[in-house]
Amino acid sequence: MTRRMTDDRLLDIIEIWGAEAHGWPEAERAAAEALLAEKPGRFAPALAAARELDLMLGALPEPDMPRALTDAIIAAAPKPARGLLPRWGGMKAPWVPASGFAAAAFGLFMGLTIAPVASADDEVNAEVQELVISALGFEPANYTLEEME
Amino acid sequence: MAFTSDLDQITRAAAGDAAAVRALVNRYSPGVLALATRMLGETAEAEDVTQETFIRAWKALPGWEPRAKFSTWLHRVALNLCYDRLRKRREVLPDELPDRADVALGPQDALDQAQRVKAVEAAIARLPERQSAALTLCALQGHSQAEAADIMEISVEALESLLARARRTLRGELLDGRKVS
Repeated sequence: MTRRMTDDRLLDIIEIWGAEAHGWPEAERAAAEALLAEKPGRFAPALAAARELDLMLGALPEPDMPRALTDAIIAAAPKPARGLLPRWGGMKAPWVPASGFAAAAFGLFMGLTIAPVASADDEVNAEVQELVISALGFEPANYTLEEME
Repeated sequence: MAFTSDLDQITRAAAGDAAAVRALVNRYSPGVLALATRMLGETAEAEDVTQETFIRAWKALPGWEPRAKFSTWLHRVALNLCYDRLRKRREVLPDELPDRADVALGPQDALDQAQRVKAVEAAIARLPERQSAALTLCALQGHSQAEAADIMEISVEALESLLARARRTLRGELLDGRKVS
């Protein structure tokens, strides 16, 4: 707001904004200070009255911000989105899923290695084995396929 | 520059950055609490308003568009919450407003500082709410003419009118020992 600085306007400024020039409207401050410097006696009573009220207002203490209130406000603040969680967000540790994979692989390996595997080929092999052993003049019941190998 | 810094912190706070949240709270909550305390004259209610103001801010952050300064927006929300509470008070307790003459002070009164502070606080609390808001924002919190007008959503001329009446009333009550209509 730009206005021509007059005695009346400066009196208004002092009444409205107080005695301290730093609190006056920025756009008018320089002109107001120039006029004040030009006629100090003209504005002295208004400045004195305004300063008295300024001092009373300036003596009011600022309320303390309670810690509990700060904490409550912060607790209600936005939380990080799920996509912004750390790399292993939601998991206890990186070795947890890895150990599962390792256990499954070990189990599969052991199963293939030592578990008995039955198939139609096994029955054919047993019959062939029996025939071979008989043809050689041995008693099949005393021999197994493993022994033949 | 505070405005740029605010934007950065608002963006980070909206994403849940705890440091940015804390910075915004530390920077602005004391001013919001002070405004609410002066407007309402009651600590517990002022704290409720402060908390509610920030809860609304947190909800607004994800879609925040910097049309206004964050501090202006916060103070405007706080002020409107105060107006709401003052209106409710008037509806509930229409006959319990303090009598102006009960605490009017004359210059001859020998008051210690604590009494004087109480008298000033009481006089501000008795001002019409918009005068009280204008005085608090400008004379007590140091907001500029434009900022205060923006917070109150009024013209600069209207702000000056409110301030002039507020200061005249206080001067009359506190310094001249006379009632001002």
